[in-house]
Amino acid sequence: MNQPITDASDFAQTAIPQLTQLDKLLRCHICKEFLRVPVLTPCGHTFCSLCIRQYLRQDPKCPLCLNELRESSLRSEFLVGEIVEIHKSSRQALLDILKEYSRTESKGDSPLIELGSQSDADDDIQILATTDRKSLRPSTIGSSVNRVTKLTGVRSLLKNHNEGNKSKQHMAQCPICEQFYPIEALERTHLDECLTVQSLGGQPGSKTSERKAPSPVPRKPSPPKTVQYKHNEDNDTSSHVERYINSSNSGDRQRLPKVTFASMSVAQIKQKLASLGLPVNGTKQTMIARYDQYEMLWNSNFCDAIEPVDVNELKRQLLSWETTQNNHGSSNIGGISSMMKRANGSKPYQKLLADFKNDKFERKSWIQMFRQDFKSLVKEARRQLIKETTNEIESQKDNTEETVKTQS
Amino acid sequence: MSLKRITKELNDLGRDPPTSCSAGPVGDDIYHWQASIMGPPDSPYAGGVFFLSIHFPTDYPFKPPKIAFTTKIYHPNINANGNICLDILKDQWSPALTISKVLLSICSLLTDANPDDPLVPEIAHIYKTDRAKYEATAREWTKKYAV
Repeated sequence: MNQPITDASDFAQTAIPQLTQLDKLLRCHICKEFLRVPVLTPCGHTFCSLCIRQYLRQDPKCPLCLNELRESSLRSEFLVGEIVEIHKSSRQALLDILKEYSRTESKGDSPLIELGSQSDADDDIQILATTDRKSLRPSTIGSSVNRVTKLTGVRSLLKNHNEGNKSKQHMAQCPICEQFYPIEALERTHLDECLTVQSLGGQPGSKTSERKAPSPVPRKPSPPKTVQYKHNEDNDTSSHVERYINSSNSGDRQRLPKVTFASMSVAQIKQKLASLGLPVNGTKQTMIARYDQYEMLWNSNFCDAIEPVDVNELKRQLLSWETTQNNHGSSNIGGISSMMKRANGSKPYQKLLADFKNDKFERKSWIQMFRQDFKSLVKEARRQLIKETTNEIESQKDNTEETVKTQS
Repeated sequence: MSLKRITKELNDLGRDPPTSCSAGPVGDDIYHWQASIMGPPDSPYAGGVFFLSIHFPTDYPFKPPKIAFTTKIYHPNINANGNICLDILKDQWSPALTISKVLLSICSLLTDANPDDPLVPEIAHIYKTDRAKYEATAREWTKKYAV
């Protein structure tokens, strides 16, 4: 949620303003973000699967041309999805390079020469020592200090982008730091780490950002890394290409049907939900809304996504959706929920409490706000504990004294 | 989703503000905005600045935003409460639309009223039968309330 807002106009001021159109075309017209699991309508328009499914539920027409449109006529568009992924992963690097390019173009050679003079002689020695590097750059070193610095600048940008890229290939998103991790790693270790980091007061994900941050040492060209980068990049692009080539809508999973609940009894609805392994609490309305949301998540995932996620992940998404629904004060289960309902108040803790059940809950500020209370509670508990133990000792003493007395 | 989408629209308005309109949140409630529209130069509203209030529903953009004039205006499609009769704010709403586009539509409604689908039949009648009178009254109200 804290991701920076990007916009197609980012490219408008660069050397290739046409990229603005590419960037715009790859965005969904409903959420205005980059397309996620794109689907194609019969009228030739593309939207995120979840966005269009949600919209069609209330209005069966295409948001762009207003032609009649049914959910069943949506088709997945794997190619567009992969193009979006590639564009997303190279976007920042592309922007940085274009900015760098226009900067050097407009200012002439002077900044580059400055950069060149900053780097000490060590740089040149290193460059000379590596044959790899030479083969990449046929011109002689002395004649093109400018070129060297320019290349290193661009390369280091690419390198950064590449590191950031790795995290995007996986399926599950950490609810705390919002980075993507392989599901196993997320469940086994990452969640715990993230929680600890957060409770210690560190910025979640600071570890990774430390790693990613470029070292303060002047950027030196490091040939082995460059080679590695190239290698990774090849892997990366081919993975999207291969994923696309190997993709097929095999239909391993059945589409979840729309259910007309109007004629069903509460018991029947409960049975339906239970058969899917969904919670059966709440009112009839809540349960119907729950099924509808799950049906949408399910169909979007198993019918449209190129790499469907696990059923458990779908249930997690459903739970997360349901808590945000509760926040709007529609239904209630009691306890925290009813507290949350009263949480519209002005006191700061009530604001925090509003997010208690979902991913946005700020544990850190909660802990800080009630630090004194927690401290006094701990004190009180300790005091009680000491009291009890001393009492026991005293009573034992009494007992022994009594026995001594009776013996004498 | 609504929050993200509204934030993005706010951001876009900052980057590329539409001509003759502006909009932004009231206080720290991102779901409640206010907007201003400059009276189009080729209309009897020229020279006036009209304020509007915008409420985003929590299921925005699946439902249209609620928009009303807070400045009094003499127009066949805008009533005394500031309610606007505009198809894209009702049944013709599409989630592909943005606040920026809606404000531009309202601007063009000021230039070209739609007397065949009026909200205030009396004004629509005058608009159709005595255009000069309508324009004079509209100019007068603009001077009185919007300058």
